Amino acid sequence: MVSLERRADYFVGRFEAMASHCEVLVDTRSESLAREITRLAADEVTRIEHKYSRYRDDNILHHINSGAPTRVDAETARLLDYAQQLYQLSDGLFDISSGVLRRVWRFDGSDRLPDAAEVEALLPLVGWDKVMWQAPLIQLAPGMEIDFGGIGKEYAADRVAQLASAFPLPQHTQPGHTPSVLVNLGGDLAVTGPRHDGSGWRVGIETGATGANAKAADFSLQQGGVATSGDAKRYLQKDGRRYSHVLDPRSGWPVSGAPHAVTVAAATCTDAGMLSTLALLQGAGAEAFLREQDVPYWCQW
Amino acid sequence: MQLKKSHNTPRNIRRQLAAATCGLLAGAGHAGGLVASGNNWKIDSALLIYAEKDRVALVEPVLSLSKEIDDDEFINVRIVADVLTGASPNGAVPADTPQTFTTPSGKSTYTEAANTTPLDDTFKDSRGALNVEWDTPLGNNLRGTFGGNFSNEHDYLSTGFSANFAQDINQRHTTLALGLSFNNDTVSPEGGVPVGLTVMPVYPGVKATDGSKQDKTVKEVLFGVTQIIDRSSLMQLNYSRGQSDGYLTDPYKILSVLEDDGTGNLRGTTPYVYESRPDQRNYQILFWKGVHQLPNENVLNLSYRYFWDDWGIQSHTVDLRYRFDFAGGHYLQPHLRYYQQAQADFYRQTLIDGEETTLAYASADYRLGEFTTQTIGVKYGYQFHNGAELNLRVEMIEQNGKDRSADAIGKLQNQQLFPDNEAYLLQAGVSLDSDMIINYVLGLFK
Repeated sequence: MVSLERRADYFVGRFEAMASHCEVLVDTRSESLAREITRLAADEVTRIEHKYSRYRDDNILHHINSGAPTRVDAETARLLDYAQQLYQLSDGLFDISSGVLRRVWRFDGSDRLPDAAEVEALLPLVGWDKVMWQAPLIQLAPGMEIDFGGIGKEYAADRVAQLASAFPLPQHTQPGHTPSVLVNLGGDLAVTGPRHDGSGWRVGIETGATGANAKAADFSLQQGGVATSGDAKRYLQKDGRRYSHVLDPRSGWPVSGAPHAVTVAAATCTDAGMLSTLALLQGAGAEAFLREQDVPYWCQW
Repeated sequence: MQLKKSHNTPRNIRRQLAAATCGLLAGAGHAGGLVASGNNWKIDSALLIYAEKDRVALVEPVLSLSKEIDDDEFINVRIVADVLTGASPNGAVPADTPQTFTTPSGKSTYTEAANTTPLDDTFKDSRGALNVEWDTPLGNNLRGTFGGNFSNEHDYLSTGFSANFAQDINQRHTTLALGLSFNNDTVSPEGGVPVGLTVMPVYPGVKATDGSKQDKTVKEVLFGVTQIIDRSSLMQLNYSRGQSDGYLTDPYKILSVLEDDGTGNLRGTTPYVYESRPDQRNYQILFWKGVHQLPNENVLNLSYRYFWDDWGIQSHTVDLRYRFDFAGGHYLQPHLRYYQQAQADFYRQTLIDGEETTLAYASADYRLGEFTTQTIGVKYGYQFHNGAELNLRVEMIEQNGKDRSADAIGKLQNQQLFPDNEAYLLQAGVSLDSDMIINYVLGLFK
């Protein structure tokens, strides 16, 4: 499941999870340490995947989505609080209950747009303001669903970085000497800190990206996170108009003029992921939004 | 402050977002949801064998168990047993004729050949010790470690408590430490507690005793600072101050008493007296340690300790370790240590007839004398892929006392009054956690 490859002065651990190729770069020459940290990463990502996957019927998410009042654990409560803050911060643009819109929107490159009436019919099931959330209890209105698809991978990357920073190392490693680790979950990155020589990890951004604050498509990341939102391959096209897969949960329709993809670098992978997601939701205003945030970003139009 | 649709002026939400993310990731610092490494016991086990040339040998198995019992809260249990056998110098000087001593119990005698250092070879003891520590967060960047220890051997009982507090400041680059400890020991020597500086009776005579047991207490306070200098260096400075009160004498140690005629002959029929030490000792310790990790991940560990007390003892210890890490989980760590000690004010190799009635304190215990110790050793370790570790340590220790033969009286100038001592130490250890054992056992049934 977990594979390890030695490089000149670090190790690359690999595993598959969350439908992504996952990588862990460990700045050490100790193979056993690199293996342990890779295992730790694989265990943690798999744990989060199982706990919050929409495709399982044995997890807490399934229980919440069944509509029954659910008492949640501390971690789930933090995620729900976070989702609520994002909902408020984005004036309802970011909404973890918007997933039901996928029932009518299938972004398969075809021209099959849903009927306005179909979309309209789903809107009563969308909206965080309809959710009864008072930690530790949550209850959804009948027919509503939530998912953490927009947060999960970024959260998992930060969690792994956190665990790797606090990892109980073999006794030879002194405090302050935890090796630098880069976590890459299918393009969402988190780095624990500078490498042993003070440098960062080289990160490449897919070509074609442009951005006012982007210095180069290739940069050095010493600490923090990088995340990309968007997918150039998922869209609908009708009458010469291209419909991005980014849905405004308030109208149920795709936002117009959004970039194909937005990549952001920020203090954490979760921050980066939320900024790139919120930028996409601005549609044509994505770049103006990103400029205002004063973060390095790359847009693909 | 809210985000409006794209045609409105976007607002900067980065700071609010960062605060929200901080809340999301807070409290997730430790492996809260990790099943694999959250709930298991870490086990460190070692067997130590220490042997002095022609003297005592010690076999000591140690078992240390630790577990994270709650978020960032640990418990550590350490069990030690040791068996000590062999001979230990009794304090008397060698003579040109055989010497006969009464055993501590007073029930038999042992005889030492001429011109050799008298050793009490009735030395045999086993000890069991238990130490429990609880390490817990107490507040913002403040940790406390609270411990209790108990050890017992047939003539010695020790109980103690300790509390240590560590406060991280300066973005966790600096740690301030405060330690308090208290120990209460009871010694119940074989044959009772001898009265200091009274004559050791010739068997079957009975020694003068001061009850069957005596107590002592040790109080210590420590102040420390640990500073992370940069990503690869760390320094620690500790100052401790302690006070021992009560019976600090070794009930099994004696001194030789010489005739008052300059010949160096032992005093006629009563040549030995029991030692006597002050009933209080105030000591201070300064300790500095530096750790540096080189770019190749090798680790240099250097420490210096200065000890001084109001018995006149001062000592300096320099300790150097350098760890080489090799590919495949192997490491090698050479170790050098140098120890130098000045003698206690009341340290005497011999007494002259009559001095035992005028002196308040006197001891010929070589451990209170002036000497140096050099240690050279190496530790080899291997770390398995699953994190288990095996290690082996070998050390050679050489002790050299200050040669005072030239100052000795009469024919004692021909004797080796502070014989050099050599010791060897061998330790084998294994570290693993309970998951590994369970997985291994489960693997056997696959």
